[in-house]
Amino acid sequence: MTMFARLLRNASAWHVPCRIVACDGLPVGYRTCRARQQYSGEYSTMKVNQTKHRLSRLWLGVSLAVALAPATAALAAGYPQVTNARLAAAQNDNGWLMFRRDYAGRSYAPFKQINTANVNTLHEVWSYQSHLKQGYESTPIVNGQYMFITTPKDHLIALNAVTGKVLWKYVKPMKGVGFKTVCCDVVNRGVALYGDNVYMATLDNYVVALNAMTGKVVWQRELKPADVGYAMTLAPMILKGMVIVGESGGEYGARDFIQALDAKTGALLWRRWTTAAPGHLGGNTWPKGMYKHGGGSAWLTGTYDASTNTLFWGVGNPSPWLAKLRPGLNLFTDSLLALDPSTGKIKWYYQYTPHDSWDYDGVNTPVLTSLSYHGKEYKAIVHADRNGWFYAINRVNGKLIYAEPFTRATSVEGFKDGLPYTNNALRPTMTKQIFTCPSFLGGKNWWPISVDPQTHMAYVPTMHTCMTMKGAPTFYHAGLPYLGESFEVVHDPADHSWGALQAINVDTGRQAWNHDSALPWDAGAMSTAGGLVFSGSARGHLYAFDAQTGKILWRSPKLSSGIIAPPSTFMVNGKQYVAILAGWGGGTPIWGGKMVPVVKSIPRGGHLYVFALR
Amino acid sequence: MRLRRALLALSLGFAALGSQRGEAAVPALYTAAQAHTGHATYEQKCAMCHGKHEQGMVGPALKGPIFASKKANYKVEDIYLFMSVNMPAYAPGSLTPKQYVDIMAFLLRQNGFPAGQSALTSKLASSSTVPLLYHGPKAVQASPGVAATCPPAATGSVSNPSSHCKQSP
Ligand code: HEC
Repeated sequence: MTMFARLLRNASAWHVPCRIVACDGLPVGYRTCRARQQYSGEYSTMKVNQTKHRLSRLWLGVSLAVALAPATAALAAGYPQVTNARLAAAQNDNGWLMFRRDYAGRSYAPFKQINTANVNTLHEVWSYQSHLKQGYESTPIVNGQYMFITTPKDHLIALNAVTGKVLWKYVKPMKGVGFKTVCCDVVNRGVALYGDNVYMATLDNYVVALNAMTGKVVWQRELKPADVGYAMTLAPMILKGMVIVGESGGEYGARDFIQALDAKTGALLWRRWTTAAPGHLGGNTWPKGMYKHGGGSAWLTGTYDASTNTLFWGVGNPSPWLAKLRPGLNLFTDSLLALDPSTGKIKWYYQYTPHDSWDYDGVNTPVLTSLSYHGKEYKAIVHADRNGWFYAINRVNGKLIYAEPFTRATSVEGFKDGLPYTNNALRPTMTKQIFTCPSFLGGKNWWPISVDPQTHMAYVPTMHTCMTMKGAPTFYHAGLPYLGESFEVVHDPADHSWGALQAINVDTGRQAWNHDSALPWDAGAMSTAGGLVFSGSARGHLYAFDAQTGKILWRSPKLSSGIIAPPSTFMVNGKQYVAILAGWGGGTPIWGGKMVPVVKSIPRGGHLYVFALR
Repeated sequence: MRLRRALLALSLGFAALGSQRGEAAVPALYTAAQAHTGHATYEQKCAMCHGKHEQGMVGPALKGPIFASKKANYKVEDIYLFMSVNMPAYAPGSLTPKQYVDIMAFLLRQNGFPAGQSALTSKLASSSTVPLLYHGPKAVQASPGVAATCPPAATGSVSNPSSHCKQSP
């Protein structure tokens, strides 16, 4: 059979038309339109690779010819509807339906097929390469056989999760957008799913709903204009028929907010401003009028507790950075908010860093877990903060259970009556340069932790840095940064490595094991019932650790770039897969001070890899 | 005709770029030598994030009608004060005032401001209320001795500034 005939035969069996427009715009021979598919095992990856130019050219004709052809066995079931019930039970779904897998935010999968005994036989099944050179931070989201990833600058790509075939591609139009108020690379952290829609939040402040099967825009809504302080990088959250997002902008004097929209129509439902206005709870914690440019970004996806019907969302740093300019606690910056999801009303809050002068955003995922501390059982939230402390908070009443440092932490000095206090000698002024730890990049930045209910451990990507910091002139101008500090990120003098992945016992807050890394470790973690923890390195290896001991059980071949994204795992037709995006970038190579030369030679470019057992 | 008008304007310290469309004259704020030096420093300290051709990469574009727009409403002082305190991002404020001034001169040139006889100084740059607007491609050329490395398809498209050296970063 000729190649063309085989292609046609396979093509005619496609269920979902690969819309040729969607795959357009790249040079012929570029692999976006699947030069590397697996045709029922008839073609090895190598073989198809060698003929990729021919295949790509043929692709045009084939797609035009059979664009509407029906169904393979593979996709016969069509697109499984994502219902509230499935989302509530996402933990046990065969797919990976949301950012951190379930509403608890644990990123723990119950699959055991890949386990400590066989993980060393993991190998690449397919891969997909993207041409953009900025950072890739999206978690591959999987429903049935559909996988969705996003790239820098808000491209959204739907692929067949088993073969890697591109089903459609959507590129957010960015006409006239300058990407001016995007601090830490033009990234996106992935999609949310509901019904047969897929949702993306964009750098120009749109929420876009697309049909998951076709990539056609169902609705889109602009929350704020681009380039005036606001941007969105987070994966949206679906909850009770709402799509919930949060704005970035704490470096630009934006007044940030969490926004709920109707998932079906895009209608605005409620908005929770994250800096308190006069006359409202916390309104007396700002100098006159400063809440209007007070930051408090909400740039990472929250979590949800069905038992108390509470939505949890983290809030970022105050603007400007220099605290001297805004006396007060500056609520609700650097805080955990417990919200009523039907109104956005605040039930309670917990401020991780009071009156922050060090850019310690409190946005890192608040993960729901039960734990037992000093013999008492708690329904808790655990959270590894930018300020270097690992918090366990009673998620029913917002009271601190314990806090333990997980890296050198000197700005927040300790806790009294359940509340943090800071070392005031380490607050910079216009004339005083200070040295403190961690740096503003955090003991941990956004890279999400995973919490394993079997081991009772949290797996925490960690950064060991300190910084110098000094006041500097600043002024508010919409679209320009509003910092009032200059700074340099340097090594923690007491530590020999920039990064680590460490396990923390959630019952004590103490380290259980530690994997040191000479380079920073900027990637999210995932754990599985197979006794494994997965996370990727800046050098470009995906690792599988023994969840109990931290022993390295498997390491992927060197991928084409470093990893800053979290992995995901899913089952299709009884087979377990692990997916990860490589694609170095993000905040470290921009703001990383002394780290910048260390990571400069890491190759750039996005590359999605999917692994399974041999 | 146009040449004579431009020369006249230059001798007054102004260039009449765009004046055929009735726009206000664009002041000459820096010398060609400053922009030339600034280009080299830009390549060394800024290009890795803002692009070799100021087209933007992980940092925003520093050239063109979107960067220097009416909507953004930047004055020269805004950009100078910001960048001399906060850039380069990995080591804010780490360059000398002269280096920042030269880079400012270079950015002015890339945004179509003409070179003139008198030099830009830190003092002038940090108090200049001249609107930082994009004035076209006139000055957007590589300095002598610095290779222009636009991809072949884009070279020569100087008449269309936004496509000059435009490429997927
Ligand atoms: C390591 C990356 C990096 C380097 C190097 C860097 N920048 Fe930036 N720059 C950024 C980022 C990211 C922004 C986005 C705004 C922000 O958060 O500061 C920015 C913003 C700017 C802006 C504001 C643009 C606007 O329209 O808002 C200017 C001007 C600027 N940089 C100039 C410079 C100059 C001049 C240099 C070299 C001395 C430089 N930058 C070096 C990353 C960098």
